[in-house]
Amino acid sequence: MRPLFVTWEYPPYKAGGIAAHCEDLATTMADQGHEPVILTYGDEQEVEYRDGVEIHRVPASNSASNTLSWAMNLGHQMEKKAIELAKKQDFDLVHAHDWMAVPGATGIKKTLDLPMVFTVHSTQKGRDGIDSDYQRTIHNLEWYGTYEAEEVITVGREFSEEVKHNYELPKQKVNYIPNGVNLEKFDNHSENLNKDKYALDWEQIVLFVGRMYPQKGPGHLIEAMPEIIDNNPEAKFVMCGSGATEHYKQIAKSQVGEKVHFPGYVPDKELLSLMKRAEMTVAPSVYEPFGIVPLEAAACETPTVGSYTGGMKDTIIHEYTGLHTYPADPGSIAHEIERALNDPGWSDWMGQNARERVEDNFRWEQISAWTTGIYKEALK
Amino acid sequence: MKVLLLSKNLSDGEAVSEYVKNLAEYLVSENNEVTIVSFDDESYYSIDDRVNVNRFPLNFEGDNLYNWSMMMNNEMKGQVVEETDVEEFDIIHAHDWTTVPGAVSLSKQFETAFVLTIHSTENERGFGSEESEVISELEWQGTFEADKVIVNRDETRNSVLFDLDAPEEKLEMIDPLKDGWQQIILNNYRNLLDNKEQVKN
Repeated sequence: MRPLFVTWEYPPYKAGGIAAHCEDLATTMADQGHEPVILTYGDEQEVEYRDGVEIHRVPASNSASNTLSWAMNLGHQMEKKAIELAKKQDFDLVHAHDWMAVPGATGIKKTLDLPMVFTVHSTQKGRDGIDSDYQRTIHNLEWYGTYEAEEVITVGREFSEEVKHNYELPKQKVNYIPNGVNLEKFDNHSENLNKDKYALDWEQIVLFVGRMYPQKGPGHLIEAMPEIIDNNPEAKFVMCGSGATEHYKQIAKSQVGEKVHFPGYVPDKELLSLMKRAEMTVAPSVYEPFGIVPLEAAACETPTVGSYTGGMKDTIIHEYTGLHTYPADPGSIAHEIERALNDPGWSDWMGQNARERVEDNFRWEQISAWTTGIYKEALK
Repeated sequence: MKVLLLSKNLSDGEAVSEYVKNLAEYLVSENNEVTIVSFDDESYYSIDDRVNVNRFPLNFEGDNLYNWSMMMNNEMKGQVVEETDVEEFDIIHAHDWTTVPGAVSLSKQFETAFVLTIHSTENERGFGSEESEVISELEWQGTFEADKVIVNRDETRNSVLFDLDAPEEKLEMIDPLKDGWQQIILNNYRNLLDNKEQVKN
């Protein structure tokens, strides 16, 4: 099959999880004999062939006043490129990823008369609400994408219900396919961490990975820190990710001083080393349709202490592959982190279980096969 | 000749709509086949029965005219592809920036000659909104992609030439207040098709 992926981000450009998702899915599809083509943003028009995947980048206007207008403009540029590409070789369908791809993907669907599949990675309502005109327009775009798509894919089981409810979709149109983990990437990586950059020799790293925004819950973890440090002075919190870093750093430093470190943006390889070395990762999100961090940590045999919400209800099995906390509850976060810190053997055991579970349930080969199955439905 | 006219609205009394209606009625009286595709704002319109009219609803509310128009254009393309014999059109004639994205895509996909009437430019309208720059860029793109650009008055002609930097050779001022303006447009269509035929041969 020859699907046309429409995504605003694709590695090496990436801001969130969509880029990695698209790359892993497309690469696996190519391995399985399909011909995925990626249409994405770039500073200039360029084409690249990587791991069996054809990647086309198109620029968008620098004059847009906000992300929404920018996405509209990008969509139009993408559509022109798709028309050009389709003249050389037809596509079977267009596969959009999240709301920013909706203008482009629906335009392509209409002009080229193609079926459309839409993967919803998160919703505006869940991210930060639909209170302003701007937010409502994004919500409308999400609705429009689900309306126009022949098939909708969601990355979380519970999230599927949210998507059906938010956009009033018939249940047969919505398919749950989890995210996956590229285990090779983790297995080929030899951990080579200069731990001194992050923690003292005797300290144990408790790792947060994610954008520093309320949705990811860094504030709740910071509130839990003083109690944890009181009882477990060996703990050292390492908070990786971009966003409102300075804001959270100030608060955290005022609470626990040197026991927390904010390295800012950490390159992928360094992050893998950190994940492998950490005692645990912590995912205190208040809203998380899927949440890739517990799976990536699992690939590193590191357990995750994560909120009992959204996708983490599935990606963490309490007391088997990690620990669940009540969402937005610093007391619960402190309690579970301390349980894991106080029993390192148990933590290691949970890390091993997490790895085995990822190997059995979250492989891209499986996810790619499910996705092409959905394509076949869309083509009917 | 088969002509597709794209217009944001089709409603009696509205300036661009009146221009489109008037042009369409003249074209059918000269034995051409005309289809108008426009957003259905539920307003009243009256037109010669021989003109095919396809008005469509839009299930999308945008926070500003630019965002709304971009999605309206997607719906417009769908209407044209699904509801008309799109491959048979000889001319796609768009009106103002609000139909430029649709006209650009359709003319590229179906390799149809593209005429654009710019009734006024964003510069003439005051360049007063946050979206003015992207709107003006669409106007520029329209003049870049179109085979023929028509304006109605000197002020717009000057703005298209100097603000949008459009090439003078594809620009023509055709005053719709003067008799025979529709015929001049039809002659332009014919010239375009003749040129296209010559290129093919």
